[in-house]
Amino acid sequence: MAVQGESGSKEEIKTQFTTIEGVYRLLPLSEYSRPNRVAYNNTAGSGSSSPPVRVSFVCLPPDNNTNSSSCSSVNSSVNGDRTKICFNYGRELFVYTYRGIKKAADLSKPIDKRAYNKEDVPTCHDFNKCTASPDGVCLLVGLFGGQVQLIDPITKEINKAYNTGERLIDKTKVTCVRWIPGSPNQFLASHSSGHMYTYNEELLCGVDRPHYQLFKQGEGYSVYTCKTKSTRNPLYRWVIGEGSINEFAFSPCSKYLAVVSQDGSLRVFNFDTMDLLGSARSYYGGLLCVCWSPDGRYVVTGGEDDLITIWSFQEKRVVARGQGHKSWVTVVAFDAYTTLYSDIDGFDMCNEETSKHNSLSNDIRAKSNNSAPNSRPNSNRNSLASDGLGLNVTSYRLGSVGQDTLLCLWDLKDDVLTQPYRRPRSSTVVSSSGGVGSGYGGHQTGQHLANAKCNNVKESSVGSDSSHHSHSTNSLTAKLANLNFGEKKDREKVEKDHKRSLSLASKNSTQNCKTSVNKNQVGGSTCPSDEVYKSMGTSLCPRLDECPVIEPMICKKIGHERLSGLVFREDCVVTSCQDGCVLTWCRPGKQAVPTPRFSCLAPGPGTEPSR
Amino acid sequence: MGANASQLEKEIGADQFPPNEHYIGLVNFGNTCYINSVLQALYFCKPFREKILEYKAKNKRTKETLLACLADLFYNIATQKKKVGSIAPKKFIARFRKENVKFDNYMQQDAHEFFVQLIDSINETIVEKQMSGRSRQQGIDSDQQAGLGGQQDSGGGGNNQQQDHTWVHEIFQAVVTRELKCLNCEAVRSTDEVLNNLSVEVHQNTSITHCLRCFFSTETISAENKVQCENCCSLQEHQKRTRVKKLPTILVLHLKRFQFLGQYNRTLKLSHRVVFPLELRLFDTSSDAVNPDRLYDLAAVVVHCGTGINRGHYIAIVKSHRFWLLFDDDAVDKIDASLMEEFYGLTSEIQKSSETGYILFYQARDPT
Repeated sequence: MAVQGESGSKEEIKTQFTTIEGVYRLLPLSEYSRPNRVAYNNTAGSGSSSPPVRVSFVCLPPDNNTNSSSCSSVNSSVNGDRTKICFNYGRELFVYTYRGIKKAADLSKPIDKRAYNKEDVPTCHDFNKCTASPDGVCLLVGLFGGQVQLIDPITKEINKAYNTGERLIDKTKVTCVRWIPGSPNQFLASHSSGHMYTYNEELLCGVDRPHYQLFKQGEGYSVYTCKTKSTRNPLYRWVIGEGSINEFAFSPCSKYLAVVSQDGSLRVFNFDTMDLLGSARSYYGGLLCVCWSPDGRYVVTGGEDDLITIWSFQEKRVVARGQGHKSWVTVVAFDAYTTLYSDIDGFDMCNEETSKHNSLSNDIRAKSNNSAPNSRPNSNRNSLASDGLGLNVTSYRLGSVGQDTLLCLWDLKDDVLTQPYRRPRSSTVVSSSGGVGSGYGGHQTGQHLANAKCNNVKESSVGSDSSHHSHSTNSLTAKLANLNFGEKKDREKVEKDHKRSLSLASKNSTQNCKTSVNKNQVGGSTCPSDEVYKSMGTSLCPRLDECPVIEPMICKKIGHERLSGLVFREDCVVTSCQDGCVLTWCRPGKQAVPTPRFSCLAPGPGTEPSR
Repeated sequence: MGANASQLEKEIGADQFPPNEHYIGLVNFGNTCYINSVLQALYFCKPFREKILEYKAKNKRTKETLLACLADLFYNIATQKKKVGSIAPKKFIARFRKENVKFDNYMQQDAHEFFVQLIDSINETIVEKQMSGRSRQQGIDSDQQAGLGGQQDSGGGGNNQQQDHTWVHEIFQAVVTRELKCLNCEAVRSTDEVLNNLSVEVHQNTSITHCLRCFFSTETISAENKVQCENCCSLQEHQKRTRVKKLPTILVLHLKRFQFLGQYNRTLKLSHRVVFPLELRLFDTSSDAVNPDRLYDLAAVVVHCGTGINRGHYIAIVKSHRFWLLFDDDAVDKIDASLMEEFYGLTSEIQKSSETGYILFYQARDPT
């Protein structure tokens, strides 16, 4: 019936979009959708209760080279056939050779295809990049019933399962499963129970209900070990926050773990020491997804508040929010290939930080030294991702998809990310020094800014010295804001200075914020449900008028159903949708699939080109 | 049914069953599920229930009003011997039909209309009572004042204001400011409006957050729609925006899922998928709002099942303590919070029948 008076639902589905670097085009022939697709609206897997369609990639090392750890996604376009793609749809799990943008997908020959019981549908999966060999790869599959399966989709020789049978470890849905980076045999699985377990794939699960012993405890979380004579799975149980753990992500240096939960919290841990390093809160509702910037400086979350939230690891505060989605944000991912670097010597913010952060900077350095072709990149987009570590990023590219069927691309510029926290509007303390405020002329007037805060808490450990620093920074920031890209040399010079002093200033302002938060906690009520109120208007959860709010550079409807997957690859962007469509978007300037003599698959009705 | 009820008790567990809480279904008297679902949702909005029970305690013998019937019904539920079961809201429905001719039939009705009607009726009763109470009070006052020779007409204005303000307002009323800004002289005219619930348009694959953003969105009135600016004394372009000035204790959101199509002379149901989180805040608050950060928890959802406004079925999903319960007339089931996903709506435009969230009740979680 065509009497639908709704304009929004009839919005065109885009098959291309343009950014400053050029046109991204949908490649209909590179669609890795569920084969033999049934007509749209009749798909069993698109029911609201079926798990999101997720995508995992792996690049197998070449035959002649046994050094498996060198396999990086960068090589994928050279040897496209070594790249494997895994996606789940309804009860089924598919593994294909991903032929990238050069060759059309051949959906008739899956490497592996499995159908699961209705109660145990696959919810998430992850390839072990560390142990991948030319002949085989370990694939973890998390299931709805709480089980975790380990298979080799290529050799089919491995078939293990954990938390099976009576599911004594956890009976709730597996929400995220990942190999611990660099580990050949340990992995981490989170559940909707709010628990997360470390497994060793070589160990057995006990036949009895595991007995746990408290191992480590902190604010809002605790870690338990399994009390057994012989070492058994799970090695550890993490209990984090209240409600489901929705996703977790390891930092690029593998050392830190970011966890987002249904209780609206982001928590960042040192994975080895199990210490909580920082946290943030959603505006409201659960946080659904999390990712790290390629250089490990920022953690980005998306959630049920329709916002993306950018959190600085160094400053431990929310630095910006992104508003553009019309529904819940399901995936956030940085595009490491479209990140702007500056020419200047790799200035490392971590150097300026206190000893607490030294470990991080060392780690990043170590990583960047390890990556083989460490050429100095120019200020170009499309520079290689692995080289970005330890370099000076001036603009990050972030992507997000949501239940609104929209793909959003965001450019996070460092002048936005380094704006200090603005004072809450409800605060009654007025800056005592009038001169400081005027230093901020370049920015929104009338807003009380972090420098005011510095004055405000002069009696704390940070003396008047700090306010002096932040003062000079602020005027520099203002100056910087007026500079344009044309004055590149000047900009860099200023930027270098700017950065140095800024890191100091921002550090101070964070400390001050912390002090003030603690004060609030002492003064206010101690009811735990008040926690959300306390964090509101602090650097853990700034109001929309207290931090920069960015808008997406691109916001396009690319599917009929809610989107559930987003992966940035060197030559393309891959998205997945609840209706089982896995789409490949060719990057600008990259060669598309040549027109084949005969079309082996017609583009499904769900992706009808509508140019 | 009896077996069902005891099963619910078993499922929750005797030791887990919240003390002083009753999960009592309501019998359907022929298409009265639109009433039952709203009543259950309201019963589990704690501030409302407490006020109604308080009314019952204070007014033992009153004339039969809809409020009195509701108070009896809530009291009846709250004082059941059994923790689970069902009762027949006979008296309440009879009274409601008597008071509202439009609803005096056995047809399926709009649950939202019923909600509005009910709240208005309760409010009227309270206002009447306050007025009569005050006139009596005033009588005493004036007697005293006459006796004491004190001042007359001390605070008439204040009294009038009080008269308009009832606990019903306190709970449900949102005050929104509609601002009209002249783009020529930048003069702002604003008018306040009180709303017992916000009726928002629904769009496919959006969230309630987005629906609210559209409700509060800024629009420019230009071209032939120019408005007279009193300051400029001419037709000018204006910018119109709506902001929340007072946030209610219970935020009732009505999703406009029924669209009347004039040319077909029928109403169409929009089954669009609109997700709603268990927590909510309002973004578009005015700068002078008292509590702009008020955090809301989803307390209850009235779900419409079926194809159209005059057919189908209504059920209520409520949160009680740690549990989510589904009230389907006289049947009560404990459900998992993840089942909420089933009531967001459909992405497909072809299926006409759907089970969709229709009225959302968000309750403020104020710091204690």
